[in-house]
Amino acid sequence: MTNRYALLSLYRSLTRHRLYAALDIGGLAVGVAVFLVLGLYVRFETSFERWLPRHDQIYLIQTELHLPGSPFNGAYPASMAGMLEQLREDFPGLTGTRIRGGAGAGSVTRNGIAQREDVAQVDASFFDVFDLPMVAGDGRRALADPSAALVSRSAARKYFGSADPIGQTMTIGFDGPQVFRVAGVFEDLPANSDLRAAILTPIPRTPPPMRWDWYRWGTAAVMTFVRFPTRAAADAFAAKLPAFLKRRVGHDFGPDPNAILSLPLLPLTDLHLQPPGAESASRVAALVTLAIVGALTLLIAIVNYVNLATARAGLRAREVAMRKVVGASRGALIAQFMAEAVLASALATLVGLILTELALPFVNATAGLSLSVPYATLVPALIALAAGVGVIAGSYPALLLSRFPAAAVLASARTPGGGRAGTRLREVLVVVQFGLAIALLTGTLVLVAQTRHLRQTDLGFRRDGLLTLPSFAADDLAREQRQALLAAFRAIPGVVAVGTADAVPGDGVASATEQGGAGVDIIAMPGQPGPGLTVLRVNSGPDFFRAYAPRLLAGRLLDDAHRRDDATDWTKGKDGFNVVVDRTAVAALGFRSPQAAIGQTVGGAQPRTIVGVIEPLRFFSPRRPQSPTFYFHYPALPPRGMATLRYAGDARAVQAAVAAAWHRIAPQVPLVAEPVDRRLREFYAADDRAARLLGVGALLAVAIACIGLWGLAAFNAARRMHEIGIRKVLGASSGDIARLLTGQFLRPVVIANLLAWPLAWVAMRKWLAGFSDRIALSPLYFLTASLLALLVAVATILFQSLRASRAAPAWALRHD
Amino acid sequence: MIRLENIQRRYISDEVETTALADINLHVAAGEFVAIMGPSGCGKSTLLNTLGTVDRPTGGRYMFGDRDLAALDEKELAAFRGSTLGFVFQSFNLIDELTIEENVALGLAYRKDAGDRRARVAAAMDKVGIAHRSRHFPHQLSGGQQQRAAIARAIVGDPKLILADEPTGNLDTANGEQVMSILMGLNDEGATIVMVTHSPSHADMAKRRIDMLDGRIVASAMRAL
Repeated sequence: MTNRYALLSLYRSLTRHRLYAALDIGGLAVGVAVFLVLGLYVRFETSFERWLPRHDQIYLIQTELHLPGSPFNGAYPASMAGMLEQLREDFPGLTGTRIRGGAGAGSVTRNGIAQREDVAQVDASFFDVFDLPMVAGDGRRALADPSAALVSRSAARKYFGSADPIGQTMTIGFDGPQVFRVAGVFEDLPANSDLRAAILTPIPRTPPPMRWDWYRWGTAAVMTFVRFPTRAAADAFAAKLPAFLKRRVGHDFGPDPNAILSLPLLPLTDLHLQPPGAESASRVAALVTLAIVGALTLLIAIVNYVNLATARAGLRAREVAMRKVVGASRGALIAQFMAEAVLASALATLVGLILTELALPFVNATAGLSLSVPYATLVPALIALAAGVGVIAGSYPALLLSRFPAAAVLASARTPGGGRAGTRLREVLVVVQFGLAIALLTGTLVLVAQTRHLRQTDLGFRRDGLLTLPSFAADDLAREQRQALLAAFRAIPGVVAVGTADAVPGDGVASATEQGGAGVDIIAMPGQPGPGLTVLRVNSGPDFFRAYAPRLLAGRLLDDAHRRDDATDWTKGKDGFNVVVDRTAVAALGFRSPQAAIGQTVGGAQPRTIVGVIEPLRFFSPRRPQSPTFYFHYPALPPRGMATLRYAGDARAVQAAVAAAWHRIAPQVPLVAEPVDRRLREFYAADDRAARLLGVGALLAVAIACIGLWGLAAFNAARRMHEIGIRKVLGASSGDIARLLTGQFLRPVVIANLLAWPLAWVAMRKWLAGFSDRIALSPLYFLTASLLALLVAVATILFQSLRASRAAPAWALRHD
Repeated sequence: MIRLENIQRRYISDEVETTALADINLHVAAGEFVAIMGPSGCGKSTLLNTLGTVDRPTGGRYMFGDRDLAALDEKELAAFRGSTLGFVFQSFNLIDELTIEENVALGLAYRKDAGDRRARVAAAMDKVGIAHRSRHFPHQLSGGQQQRAAIARAIVGDPKLILADEPTGNLDTANGEQVMSILMGLNDEGATIVMVTHSPSHADMAKRRIDMLDGRIVASAMRAL
């Protein structure tokens, strides 16, 4: 009986005030949807590698550098290639594997042309650590055979179609092309994995040719994973690593290698969110921000819903009194209100779930994800949410209204609306809602301004019309091929300059990231303690300065005409080389101005004479501080030089011509060519995504808060009809009434700023601190957000207030 | 002071037409105390609301002094009410969220020429004997006290006309007598009062008594002095 009447009465109240019901339920539904979408994203980002069996037993051995004053300090996920071999000798029985390569690291040659492929070399013990599910073959046994390869399910389909891949051969390039026999197929790696491999081949047992750094400490060539049954065992192992380093490193790193180098263990599941090196923890910060936005939006929606539901229920005091008069017990009334409230919030939650399903395809498309609603775990949680919100929303009318003495309510000229306390509580809730909404809005404005600032910031070079070819540094490219390629590129119509250097924008210096510190130069500073100033060393080749066209502040650029500009023969280092430095280095070296640095010789026993000073060329992530940089000149080609083409005109034509030349001259090496602006975009991708999600979240939060305000204004106008009548009888004009109602409602919105500003200020200062190049936290962002919220609020309330103020006073007085 | 000529008020809703006032002709001179009587639904309150300009007639002419009120727009009417009229209701119509003092001050809230508001509010509360309750809220007062506060609010602006809609209807005899004596005192001081009442004894306290039936004035008699 009760339930049937609850349903009926819910249906009546929803259909009688359709717009009101739509906003009420819609607000909660949108809140639920925002929370679910952001929650699914956060869940995805924190679920990396958790799909692996025994993932909690796997650790990555990081390489942590602590060079004095070096911009490269911090922990990196990679380590020396031969480290695991030495660890095995010192720790017999250690379970571990290396992963060398990964995304785009190798190639597969088909029809004589090498195509880039995700190839990883791993130890035979790989499956003892990573228990990848196999589709066919025995992975463990296969990796023991140096000529066997494992392919993923989709790679098998890609290369062999429907034919049985087992036993087939393929030419796989890593340290040079080699023929492998397919011995097994493993299941595709899921989206929530940083392991990127379509093909697994055994890691060489002896260092491959050209890999002179296989046993050189401080380099970062492979990822080394170890597995321990317990955390205690891992800790015990980690405690023995300093002694291991001291034994193995020798004197390359001074008397105590532990002062400069350490090998901390990182749980595998933390790897995805761990930023490399000195970069700030932007991924974690972005995730935490999104989680907070999701939770806050849901909170705003719940507060809003409860607020509206209780306000509306207040208007039903007379109905409750009448029900009591005709014989309803208090229990029956409580049951009715509770059932109604829970049903309404269940409806809102269901609509929220539908909105989530509708939104996910768009979110997946824009962010390149594959999120889906996990119904098995989510449905019980949603039922709990609906019940919880329903009970909170229903308890006010259920418990309070049912307690009013019926006779008093019926005799009273006005509706009990909770009195002064009720009004205060509602005002406080509006303050909380708008405070959070304004804080979110401010955060969005700052985020958008900062990402725009980064996009437009002066990098020291023009970012369009620049094509990088990292594959030009590939080991298996012969010297003659390089020269032929350079000549061919220069002949392409539209190409202005072909520069070479061991650095390209996007991921910085090849040698620095691959060899951890080889791209670093230490400049002895006479009269100062310590080994000296750590600077970035960029080895530039012909036309490097023409391709990037840096702004020259003083002196000249390096060229072939000056003998001492040539840094090719390192044995001449003691005689000294000429270098070009950037403005950051001038300041770090303590010179007053770029002019003052010209002609100065620094570096003590390795003298470098500064012949030119340029504006910094910013190749790195904007989250990384710009480091002092020295440029050396190699008239032929710098070691590990990558090519950069400066061109004018049609990008696609140039890229096509580059690809054609490459496939003609160096078909055995996969071509990697990327426009600089696309590479730079990756720096901003995470922040862009965060800005977009935060922006949408903030707008929806403000919208929900406005729905709440609208509802409260409507409720308040209804409740105060009587007062409005009295005031009009006493001579108040419509304008007076509209001003009164609007002003009263704007007060909490204005007070909300006091909550929002400090909140936004603290959060955004912390976020901006992660950038070396950042905007100032101007009061303009705060004022703009407040003004926006205020405008929306005024527009929302004004409609209600005007309508209420136009009511005829005689009608208003009779109305209750 | 007041001249109603052929005043009509019809309500039209859902094809039903109700005539609340039909051809009302009424003159009220300054300083008069008029009581309107009649059964429920006879149009007493509608007449009072029309006099108070909170309800607009559908026909006829309402002259206040030499002003034709039909010519005023909503804003001007609001200003007119604030400066010229005082209202007393059966159900007091005090605002629960405001103190008695604030409720009384509301009578001056929409006046630009109010002068020393504080002093006028204090004087009005004194006059009706409610000053000692000035900081209380309406629900803390008895019905008689609430009605006295409502009268204080009605007179605080020195209105030319006080309109009272069953001012004793919700009060016991003693409180009713007290309210009536206040109204008579105000009348003695020169205030013009039009009062709707169900109580013949209270109607007899007025200087003139009007009887209404079905939206028409059926009798008008001066009190024998």
